[in-house]
Amino acid sequence: MSTAFDRNGSWSLDAADLRAWIGGLVGSGARVVAPAEREGLWTFRPLRSGEELALPAGFPAWSPKEFLFPRTETLFRYESSGGEPGLEDPVREDVPQVLFGLAPCDAAGLVRLDAVLGADPAYASRRALTTVVTLACDAARPECFCTTVGGSPHGEEGGDLLLVPSDGAFLLRPLTRKGTELAAGASASWAPATAEAWERARARLREVAEAVGRSPLAHGFAEGLERRFGSRAWQQVGRRCLGCSICTYVCPSCSCFDIQDEGSPGCGRRCRIWDSCTFGLFTLHASGHNPRPNQAARYRQRVLHKFSSYPLEHGGVPMCVGCGRCVRLCPAGLDVRETVERVLAEGKEPRHAGP
Amino acid sequence: MPAPDPASAPSLSREAPGNGNASPFRPRLFRIASYRDETPDVRTFRLERADGGGPLRWRPGQFVHVSVFGAGEAVFTLASSPSRGETVECTVRAVGKVTEALRGLGEGDVVGVRGPYGTAFPVDEWRGSDLAFVGGGIGMAALRAPLQWVLDHREEYGEIVVLNGARTVADLAYKDEMGEWGAVPATRVVRTVDPGGESPGWDGEVGLLPQVFERLALAPQGRIVVTCGPPVMLHYMFLALGRMGYAPERVVTTLENKMKCGLGLCGRCNVGRFFVCTDGPVVTWARLQGLPEDL
Repeated sequence: MSTAFDRNGSWSLDAADLRAWIGGLVGSGARVVAPAEREGLWTFRPLRSGEELALPAGFPAWSPKEFLFPRTETLFRYESSGGEPGLEDPVREDVPQVLFGLAPCDAAGLVRLDAVLGADPAYASRRALTTVVTLACDAARPECFCTTVGGSPHGEEGGDLLLVPSDGAFLLRPLTRKGTELAAGASASWAPATAEAWERARARLREVAEAVGRSPLAHGFAEGLERRFGSRAWQQVGRRCLGCSICTYVCPSCSCFDIQDEGSPGCGRRCRIWDSCTFGLFTLHASGHNPRPNQAARYRQRVLHKFSSYPLEHGGVPMCVGCGRCVRLCPAGLDVRETVERVLAEGKEPRHAGP
Repeated sequence: MPAPDPASAPSLSREAPGNGNASPFRPRLFRIASYRDETPDVRTFRLERADGGGPLRWRPGQFVHVSVFGAGEAVFTLASSPSRGETVECTVRAVGKVTEALRGLGEGDVVGVRGPYGTAFPVDEWRGSDLAFVGGGIGMAALRAPLQWVLDHREEYGEIVVLNGARTVADLAYKDEMGEWGAVPATRVVRTVDPGGESPGWDGEVGLLPQVFERLALAPQGRIVVTCGPPVMLHYMFLALGRMGYAPERVVTTLENKMKCGLGLCGRCNVGRFFVCTDGPVVTWARLQGLPEDL
């Protein structure tokens, strides 16, 4: 397709327009994933029709990463009943996919995943077939802190189209060529957005950004945390961690995985499974040696990877998009924002001390 | 961490992890050509390509993931030097699920192999230097490939000292090979066991490996020390090397950590900004000093 990418073009849509558009995409064979509610729990789910699109939608408890990085994924199957093992690649079921209605933090989370998993052929193949429609936030939740980590409730990072709530309807603007192409089949029937509508919407977006009310991380935070590897604060904060790893499972940017065989010696599959650095088994050697022998050391690894070692290797960008899920769901009440502030407030200490 | 880019990677530090769209997780098939027991729980396997593909190309110090289908994968150092031919050898101590399953296999059985991965020992940079290889227990397996390499290129290196230590005489690996190593000109092999680990008739040294090394009083001038062993041994080894005046840049080790992918993706071997699988496993003591104490 060779649709021109016009960054300045935008439309005004109502709910019926959106549902018709989604319906058309579903009908064309694309998998359209959007927030959906079941028994009170909001998650990202594939829609079967445009009518299933929930407007307004709740903020999903889980991030959308599983649609690019599945919780469990077959790497290959093995079969050796006839003597020597034969290996078989999994059948790729990759279809064009639309991730619809992602908050800007979740869209940015995909860019963080790209930085790590982009080198993986299975991930890259799904990613290439995925178009992201970001929905700007019309309210801030208590745990939100996107503005602390360089994001915004109307951020464009990771999105191909930006949808903005506007007086009960929506303004839609393509951010990439891919986004323009996704709208191309339906946009002829949409009304152009007016400058006045954008003006009102932007005023509202500024209010939401202020409502997040979080200041950016202190200058030099990544270096500061690296120098405080041995701070006693890690022990004081980290000993509250239960090691349940819910923070990792709901995180839009956590990407660590395990590899396990499932089956018998004669027949089975090797799969890749989500894993977490906050589990004790994560680093346990077969010899019994564990380089991170206590929960405080494991909690420190998660926080430092997100806010120190990753940003130091990736132009200062934290491996965190401020969605606040980990803050909301931690059973021990750990708050990564408070942890970072607490450690940075400590004096420098030698790297060999600590948990 | 971004994927290592083969085009921009320094030639001595990284191997290209995958090729094109082929799954980097799909192993090649190798057959157990033979095996030899080193100790009651350590076995050296010789592996030959079994799926019709070409031989493995590796450099001393690199590692592979070996699969026993149904049990899983585990990381082993390539214990043989490419100068000894295309057959791959891995020396494995049975301590976990995969290593126990591997021990249950016999000649002719097929396993999976992927790799090689990681950094290699800078054997070219060592030319002209005296060398000391200090291995504790199964750690000696990681030193055997560079040792074979320098023995096979004997004229390029200075004096070679091998210190092979274990808890007991029975636990000493490569008993059958040490005589061959020591027969190479200007090469000295010292065997040692921990106090209490000696058996009647033992004619080697007795003492903790770092202490025995210190007793050898090898002058640091012009010498590279290559060492591998359990964390507690390395801790005391570095203290001894410091006392003896060795520069951290002249001491090389190879790191062990839990690794699942070998590609810098799974996050398991990450320590600070360092990934053992792609930035290591071979590192200098100097580099190790810059890492957080999280290994």
